[in-house]
Amino acid sequence: MDNLPIPTFQPRLKVLEHRQALAIHTAALEILEKTGIKMENDRARKLLVDAGAKPFDTDWLRIPAFLAEEALGSAPRQILLYDQNGDKAMALRDDHFFFGTGSDTTFTLDLESGQRRGCVLNDTGRFARLVDALPRFSFAMSMSNPQDIPKIEFIYVYTFAEMLRNTNKPIVFIADRLEDMQHIHDLACMVAGGDAALRQKPFILNYSEAISPLRFPAHVVDRLMFCAEKEIPICLPSGSNAGGGAPITLAGALALGIAENLAGLIIHQLTRRGAPFLFGPNVSVLDMKSTVVSYGCPEWSLTQAALADMRDEIYGLPIWSFGGATDAKVVDAQAGAEAMFSIVTAMLSRCNLIHDVGYLEYGSTSSLEMVTLADELIAMARHFTKGIPVNRETLALDALDRVKSAGTRGIFLTDDHTFEHFEEALFLPELLDRSRYDAWMAEGGQDLYRRSNAKARSLLETHRLEPEMDAGLNDEIEALLQRI
Amino acid sequence: MTIDLNPLSEAVIKGNIQAATQETQKALDGGGDPQTILDQGLIAAMDIVGQRFAAGAMFVPQMLRSAKTMQACVALLKPAFQAGTVSSKGTVVMGTVKADLHDIGKNLVAMMLEGAGFTIIDMGVDVLPEAFVQTVSEKSPEILGMSALLSTTMPAMKATIDALKDAGLRDKVKVMIGGAPVTAKFAGEIGADRYAPDAGSAVAAAKELLQTS
Ligand code: B12
Repeated sequence: MDNLPIPTFQPRLKVLEHRQALAIHTAALEILEKTGIKMENDRARKLLVDAGAKPFDTDWLRIPAFLAEEALGSAPRQILLYDQNGDKAMALRDDHFFFGTGSDTTFTLDLESGQRRGCVLNDTGRFARLVDALPRFSFAMSMSNPQDIPKIEFIYVYTFAEMLRNTNKPIVFIADRLEDMQHIHDLACMVAGGDAALRQKPFILNYSEAISPLRFPAHVVDRLMFCAEKEIPICLPSGSNAGGGAPITLAGALALGIAENLAGLIIHQLTRRGAPFLFGPNVSVLDMKSTVVSYGCPEWSLTQAALADMRDEIYGLPIWSFGGATDAKVVDAQAGAEAMFSIVTAMLSRCNLIHDVGYLEYGSTSSLEMVTLADELIAMARHFTKGIPVNRETLALDALDRVKSAGTRGIFLTDDHTFEHFEEALFLPELLDRSRYDAWMAEGGQDLYRRSNAKARSLLETHRLEPEMDAGLNDEIEALLQRI
Repeated sequence: MTIDLNPLSEAVIKGNIQAATQETQKALDGGGDPQTILDQGLIAAMDIVGQRFAAGAMFVPQMLRSAKTMQACVALLKPAFQAGTVSSKGTVVMGTVKADLHDIGKNLVAMMLEGAGFTIIDMGVDVLPEAFVQTVSEKSPEILGMSALLSTTMPAMKATIDALKDAGLRDKVKVMIGGAPVTAKFAGEIGADRYAPDAGSAVAAAKELLQTS
């Protein structure tokens, strides 16, 4: 009788012991119970007070811990996002990871000139199309804050429509006012085939933010409650960046960010039990020389790894995170190093929804090249994370016997075992260059930035959506944009 | 009579509030002139802090601590000045523009300006153009500083400048703008007087605008 197969250990990074996780959780609850939050939304304040929160001063509320525990109990442990064709695309839960781009950048590196210039709506479309083409990207975000929007106050409605036209993958979107949210919901309903269909197969997720420390502006909470009512998945990370909105020490910044997230979750679940909520704050750091909020620092990777541990130890809810971004201004060695660092650590710690891939300059500039090369970095990290399957076939003792019998000319390269297994056994890079020097020179001696540029251009030229948007839907979308 | 202000400057540079306030008191008790203590003890120290920061030898929290130390000393000096004779470098009205809630950068700029001897009137976030105009008309500041972190709120800077024009106040105040998506080019387009990319250069820009040092 055969023995049971040997399970494959898949490398998993842990950064917190159970007691550290519990202590941070307890501190978060203490913040809610003792310090309280500033809730500027009347409807939410009433909901919270009716549920047991205690008002004090103007707009401040203290929130008892049991409300957090209840909300954690009713929020779903899996958020299932579909693509725009109605197929399952992202099961956000426990150890599943998905990568995608980021939202509003002011500038982009021009694909043709290489210059940093202001974003236009066409850039939003190009980033979405590139995401559609790249296999390791699971969702699209706008990656731009276009300057050429006919009605600037509806920038988020326009960028959403532009993404719809250029990808069929799930979309993570931003909205400013409640009005934006309503229009975007209308657009999403057009694609999904109505409100009921969108609830059944959501392909959108909203990214809203509370303000650290402890502030919940009225319009942000309007959006939160709107999403709960419509069952649009939402995340509400506050910017609890160490040294800015939050304490400089990461434990304190995490506790504050988690407290704010729990408060958001409570309002969300009181609005509609069981509505999908993606957990987790953004805890990066304020750089102590430039005072930028860093997108390339190791601390952000550390805090989100900690959050993944807390998900496993305590919360059970899928989490929001970042990766594949950099503070570098161009696609250089720093960009590669920082992007890879956060990609590999996000994957090893099993963060779930990993956004901002392709950001340069701490989120001020986007780059199609950076997105393209990150696709390969994700593949590389994934190969590592799969681990080493151990069984008869992979131990390959038979192959060894064959090669040995072949005498002095024996080499595994010619053995059938190599032919049969090399594609899954090895990571086969496409952009990362391993060619011999002469071959590389013959190809023009191009660096990674140039090669990524060429690949991005060719994908944008050749890639077609499956299917491209039909003309009727396109007209319907256009009509809404004209109407607003 | 000469009073050694070096220990005071040293204490401000180190951000040692206790030592700095003691030195300030000692200088005052020894008959020191408040204006001299301010200029040669405190502001001179902050200039060195600014230089060291620019050279990468000091970090922001250290710089802010020095500014805080200076403020504590200025508080001690105030009673010694006759009313109205404390020399401020000028008054700056600061705020984040309409519909924008980002304030960390704006606060930092305000603190640094204060550290450099400016008087700050901070209007907070989400400040409407009308509100800016009203404060400018009531307080007659030398400078109006506006912050915007969103592409969607940058137009509010232009709206404010236009509102200042309409109120006949534009030539009474210098306008300085900043925030991550803002550029020098944009400042030119909307008719602002200055753009500065960070808090350190905001101080230099403010001084230049008022031609003080
Ligand atoms: C922290 C943060 C937040 C916090 C703000 C907390 C707070 N109390 O301020 C929260 C979470 C609330 C937030 C919310 C949002 N944010 Co935000 N946020 C940031 C982040 C990460 C850092 C900003 C910051 O504080 N930096 C640190 C300070 C010290 O730097 P600074 O602000 O640039 O200021 C310096 C200079 O610019 C200059 N300066 C600033 N003001 C002034 C004024 C004058 C007169 C002068 C001379 C100089 C000057 O000096 C300062 C000090 O050196 C940036 C990304 C980034 N890395 O910059 C995004 C960012 C600014 N946010 C962005 C967005 C889109 C949003 C949201 C719409 C997101 C959402 N999903 O809802 C909301 C909008 C809320 C609103 N209506 O305002 C975008 C803006 C893109 C754009 N071009 O419009 C950015 C760039 C992120 C991104 N790439 O997507 N955000």
